[in-house]
Amino acid sequence: MNAPRDLNRKPTGLERIRAAFQAANRAGRAALMPYFTLGYPDAAASLEVIAAIAGAGADLIELGVPFSDPLADGPTIQRSTQAALEQGMTVRGCLELTARLRERGVSQALLLMGYANPMLAYGVELYAADAARAGADGLIIPDLPLEEAAQAQAACLANGLALVYLLSPASPPERIAAAAGATSGFLYLVSLNGVTGARSRLPEGLEGFVARARAAARTPVAVGFGISTPEQAAQVGRLADGVIVGSALIDSVSRSAQPARAAAEFVGNMLSALSPQPPGKGAGERSFVGEN
Amino acid sequence: MKVKICGITSLEDAQAAVRAGADLLGFNFYPASPRYISPQACRAIAEVLRPTGVCLVGVFVNAGVEEVRSTLAECGLHLAQLSGDEPPEVLAELGGLAFKALRPADSQALDGMLARYPARASAPAWLLDAARPGEFGGTGQSADWRLAAGLAARAPLLLAGGLKPENVAAAVRQVRPWGVDVASGVESTTGRKDFHKMVEFIQAARRADLAAEPASAPRAGKYGPYGGQFAPEVLMPALAELEEAYAAAQSDAAFQAEFERLLAEYVGRPTPLSYAARLSEALGGARIYLKREDLAHTGAHKINNALGQALLARRMGKRRIVAETGAGQHGVASATAAALLGLECVVYMGEVDIARQQPNVQRMRLLGAEVRPVQSGSRTLKDAVNEAIRDWVANVGGTYYLLGSALGPHPYPAMVRDFQSVIGREARAQILAQAGRLPDACIACVGGGSNAIGLFQAFRADPGVALVGVEAGGEGLATGRHAARFGDPRKGRPGVLHGTFTYLLQDADGQVAQTHSISAGLDYPAVGPEHAFLHDSGRAEYTSAEDGEALAAFQMLARTEGILPALESAHAVAEAVRRAPKMSRGSILLVNLSGRGDKDLDTVLGLLDRQTGGAQ
Repeated sequence: MNAPRDLNRKPTGLERIRAAFQAANRAGRAALMPYFTLGYPDAAASLEVIAAIAGAGADLIELGVPFSDPLADGPTIQRSTQAALEQGMTVRGCLELTARLRERGVSQALLLMGYANPMLAYGVELYAADAARAGADGLIIPDLPLEEAAQAQAACLANGLALVYLLSPASPPERIAAAAGATSGFLYLVSLNGVTGARSRLPEGLEGFVARARAAARTPVAVGFGISTPEQAAQVGRLADGVIVGSALIDSVSRSAQPARAAAEFVGNMLSALSPQPPGKGAGERSFVGEN
Repeated sequence: MKVKICGITSLEDAQAAVRAGADLLGFNFYPASPRYISPQACRAIAEVLRPTGVCLVGVFVNAGVEEVRSTLAECGLHLAQLSGDEPPEVLAELGGLAFKALRPADSQALDGMLARYPARASAPAWLLDAARPGEFGGTGQSADWRLAAGLAARAPLLLAGGLKPENVAAAVRQVRPWGVDVASGVESTTGRKDFHKMVEFIQAARRADLAAEPASAPRAGKYGPYGGQFAPEVLMPALAELEEAYAAAQSDAAFQAEFERLLAEYVGRPTPLSYAARLSEALGGARIYLKREDLAHTGAHKINNALGQALLARRMGKRRIVAETGAGQHGVASATAAALLGLECVVYMGEVDIARQQPNVQRMRLLGAEVRPVQSGSRTLKDAVNEAIRDWVANVGGTYYLLGSALGPHPYPAMVRDFQSVIGREARAQILAQAGRLPDACIACVGGGSNAIGLFQAFRADPGVALVGVEAGGEGLATGRHAARFGDPRKGRPGVLHGTFTYLLQDADGQVAQTHSISAGLDYPAVGPEHAFLHDSGRAEYTSAEDGEALAAFQMLARTEGILPALESAHAVAEAVRRAPKMSRGSILLVNLSGRGDKDLDTVLGLLDRQTGGAQ
């Protein structure tokens, strides 16, 4: 709450996130936001994979902070976070890895995605301060709904971090309005009723859900959960400002003997699927809701 | 809230401090201090403590950069506290390795110091102590809390100076520091730490910290700071729907009448209150009465809640219920209620529990339920809850989550308590009729705590009745292999699991700890949020019984009363066995016998075999 305000400061997390969506928009496509678990398969390897994701041109990156009981996650992310914990990954370790990504020149917007308890154990204010210092731009906390988020909200505000709220297809209009009003950076739309994990097809009714959220949103909207193939990403990219891919990426990295290369290839394929295919829609035709 | 115990001079004190829940330990290298420790002695202690993850701090007075650096390295310490008149360059050169202890006389002096000693980049930024010209380090005098509050608002502050169990809460409320530092305030004699004072100090500091959280309007589902709805967004609408449906059912006379009819005609309520004459005689003290939930249909109190919620599910138009189970009692109760009401039932159960509770697995299958083994995590109750919630998330429209204990996001803790409160209502009337007065204490085992909260509820307004919850002490609190959330202040700290804020066994990183108990039903790392509130408010007390004590109580009850209790309930019996002999013959203990022990025969016989095997 007492963050010093320096006029010659570097951009805040919020500004970096906004710029990432705007840049993708200018390129005439949705922003690609891969998720990867910090510390999986071990700390050093995760650093290489994430650097490769950045190098391949991802627009924003979600960094998974492992928790022992990830109840919004499906088997793939559960296995990855469990493996990271077994390798000794901690919250402090995650913040250190984040700082090292910045040292290596990763310039993308970085969002820490992790459950409430490790953050509470670390201390909410301290977590936000240290996350900002390490170079993170925002937080996504899947088990911290609006009703419980006052303290985290204040801590994020004080440190220039975005606090991203989630919505589900089951969210009624009043919750959509509340989350759209409170979120910063972007609005995270969970595509389906279920946990994270690759699915063979997109859920029905996604179009309507994205439209309802977009109508209420003052920020970009991004869709995640269950998007696994470039084709699906392209479909979602036509609806939303951002496309979030996690489990499918982790699956392909896990299968490969060269994890960093597999990650770069995966991101490359996703990006070309998202990019406008001439003579398709041009950049100017994309509707875009900037943050106010 | 971090706590630093300073002036450690022996391994014994250091370990006691860690057990009491300290986050940082201080070792004083100032030769004039009565708590001086040599680097050699410190190194021996640090070697033992490093794996615990506690932050180890060396306290220096006017030492040079090289001396500080080499001492930290030689002893294996994490941080240096500079408590003398060090020039600012020393601090600057040590960088993140050191923080400065400030002892300002007034705000002007403080401003001068802050100009010389900027905040360390991470916590703690500074330590603030009382001003005592000419003396260094702990003097036992109070710091200026008004100055401290101003400083704490700027950066993470470690507050020292004359703190003790009696005043730390006031200090925390006024200053809101990042952490508190204590040395003489938790000692029996100079230089010797007192375990109980440390526990008292740490708990007082943490409670005051929690209570001082920014005040928000009181909401339904909060028990003091505990409870709430820490659930993924996809469940929030479902929880709102449940809250609304439950409120409507509560005020619906037809719903209540149907529930009561089933309790009487199907469950067999009221369950008896039995005077345990031979057990009381054998113990030679208080008279012990047993509330016989073991005689309810399916053999445990779990059926009260399962029927109530299954009726609610049917009323809400849900055709499918999912449930988690540990010992299998709640799974059996859910499968039973589902069969009775014609609902589909899926029960998640950890593989470890499936192995140790086979009879209940078979029972659930015979009742038509599908038992899904859970292979994730520790493969016990907590992981079964994770999977049940994931199922609910994926099928939220047509599925009802039938949670088995007074846990989880609101409205579950209140709803489960209400459905179980029939236990206390009956017991209170029965003890008045049989003994002519209220008991001196009500005792119940506490896993999630539904049988306990159901018993306590009727006695909460009776000031003469002590409420005693018994946690699973496992192989002993010192071994770390237990499920005592209140009993182990080092691992049991408020946190969030399964949608609620409550006492939770966790490591320093906030990862949920593995638990152990002889009884599957108590083998769970969190406790119902209302128990957390009763604990902090002092209305209920919580103790623990180890595996061996529960087993001995199981045998004693079998031989004196002809009752085989569930191993869960045997923990409550064990507490009565401990207490009764110290009480007069006129006093009364009311023990909730929450379930019967048939399901535990394999476990008990296996353990007894091993005991006699060992004796031969």
